[in-house]
Amino acid sequence: MTAPTDPTRLTAPTAPTARTRRTGAITRRRARTAAWSLLALALLVLLTGVALGTGQVSISAWDALRALFGQGEPGNVLVVQQFRAPRVVSALIAGAGLAMAGSMLQRLFRNPLAAPDTIGITGGASFGAVLMLATGASQQLIPLAAVGGGLLAAMLLGGFAWRSKMAVTRLVLVGLAVQQGLAAAVNLMIVRFPAELASSAMQWTTGSLYGRNWTEVWIGGTAIALTAAALLLCQRRVAVLDLGDDSAGGLGLNPARDRLWLLLLTITLASLAAALTGPVAFVALAVPHLVRLLAGPPTLGTLGLTALTGAVLLLSADLLVLHVIPVHGLPVGAVTATLGAPWLLVLMIRQGRLPQRSS
Amino acid sequence: MGALVLCAALSLALGSRSVPLATVVDALTGAAHGGDADVVTGLRVPRTLIGLAVGAALGVAGAVAQGVTRNPLASPITLGINAGASLAVVAAIYTLDLSRPAEYVWFAFAGAAVAAVAAYAMSRRGGDLDPVRLALGGTVLTVVLTSWTSALMLASHRTLDEARFWLAGSIAGRHLDTLTPVLPFLVLGLVAAFAISPALNALALGDETAQSLGVPVARIRVVGGLAVVLLAGSAVAVSGPVAFIGLAAPHLVRPLLGNDHRWLLPGCLITGPLLLLAADVLGRLVVRPSEIEVGIVTAFLGAPLLAVLARKVAK
Repeated sequence: MTAPTDPTRLTAPTAPTARTRRTGAITRRRARTAAWSLLALALLVLLTGVALGTGQVSISAWDALRALFGQGEPGNVLVVQQFRAPRVVSALIAGAGLAMAGSMLQRLFRNPLAAPDTIGITGGASFGAVLMLATGASQQLIPLAAVGGGLLAAMLLGGFAWRSKMAVTRLVLVGLAVQQGLAAAVNLMIVRFPAELASSAMQWTTGSLYGRNWTEVWIGGTAIALTAAALLLCQRRVAVLDLGDDSAGGLGLNPARDRLWLLLLTITLASLAAALTGPVAFVALAVPHLVRLLAGPPTLGTLGLTALTGAVLLLSADLLVLHVIPVHGLPVGAVTATLGAPWLLVLMIRQGRLPQRSS
Repeated sequence: MGALVLCAALSLALGSRSVPLATVVDALTGAAHGGDADVVTGLRVPRTLIGLAVGAALGVAGAVAQGVTRNPLASPITLGINAGASLAVVAAIYTLDLSRPAEYVWFAFAGAAVAAVAAYAMSRRGGDLDPVRLALGGTVLTVVLTSWTSALMLASHRTLDEARFWLAGSIAGRHLDTLTPVLPFLVLGLVAAFAISPALNALALGDETAQSLGVPVARIRVVGGLAVVLLAGSAVAVSGPVAFIGLAAPHLVRPLLGNDHRWLLPGCLITGPLLLLAADVLGRLVVRPSEIEVGIVTAFLGAPLLAVLARKVAK
């Protein structure tokens, strides 16, 4: 970050120097974003290799990579392709999707605490999925129901907050209410279910990666990629909205309408990610803060970095669950919550010392 | 007050087996015997008394929490009290094979106290509590504790089966021996809350103003926090986590009695049980002859209330 109190800039604001300084600052920030992105990418590849190679049967990273493409021993190919790869890939895309959705929500709501967990989206996804479990439908339909639940939550949110022209404080509070109400519905079903159904509902609502298959990964992955691409295309619009509603209106946008569309896209992204892994806590909330700390205010580049960081975070949390913590059947959501919370708290306290952003 | 009496009467009379009010009165005075009277004295009287105590504790705890943090959305839940109690109870069921709500009481109380102390510790700054940090810290703490609770419940089927009913929050099937151990704490909490109610008025003007009026701000915060822990801890120990009563009661009382805490607290003392009993009766009537746990009913009713509050706060 450049020091805004630079004396030369204050005393002699001649146009060319100021301009070069600004572009210099932007270039430096871009370089930093690129460097962190490369590091995250390297970590991602490394962790993927580790995740594919370790387990009941140890396979060297190179063999695992070859097995992924159908080369090498048939046994290895089976283990890697059928069991490990779907899990790893779902961790990666869900982590990326959740992190991107969190980052977008924090910008649209202008609130550092906005996330799919806090505004009811993952609550809606849980509700849809648990309802589907209750009706006894096939496992294939559960992700679909989760997306439907997420959109239902979004509709409730929009319905309550629409009249206030999507004012930010109102949206956040209404989101909290939606989350609580849907959580109550899920709770009711868990209490009424027979024990084994209650267990799988509980598993789902905590967020876990057990038993993913390729069909789910392909469908979820394609949908997430499409939504994420649409969001990336809208970045210019988001940047204008960042200036505040009045300025955005002056620049020819319709803030209420645009925010609604962007929210809809973001919510779809979050529900799709939640449909794949369940509502894994704190990824969506914590990753955008981490990225802001590393690479500065959000731009197109940092959004990519956010996605990468989310993927790395969720995959490493899953590796912890599988290989480090000796508890059988631990949901990955418990680990992300435990790791994410203290750290988020430190960030919040630091942010609390800075002057508040206008909302 | 009249509404509360009515609600208590309904709570005694209605249920999967409805009893006429005349029989209820007879049963209470000892004039009637037989099935209906046994239902009233044996099951519904303890249930209603527990409902009154829990509701009063939650209502006053909510008012004090909102006063101390100067945050209209604060409630015992924001301090992580419910989550702490839940984790402690689930852990106790997991390790010690408990199966009766009366045995959970001390664990719930201890869990609530530890969670609240942790939330306070996170929000201390220069010997004083920072309300914003308290709210944030409590929320984060709640998420973490909840995730641990689910992890524990997933680790053992038996725990899940035992705990999920307690976790929903209910005053059904409790005997008075569930209430008696926490009663001293509850009373102590009420006394503390009422003792600081004039000071809470000064606190509402802002820390500096309160200080210059001669109110020891930091000490009032600590006492208020203690009162919230005692009250909400006792409530959760008896009934399991019941949401929204603490949040809703002060907001319902304020339009009627104003912002003066000396009136607000007694108002909450009446409104809290009123809400709890009304929700409990409703839960018994919706799916007769079965019933819905009171905690779930309050959560359902509380969500729209929060949405309405959002309109007020956002203005």
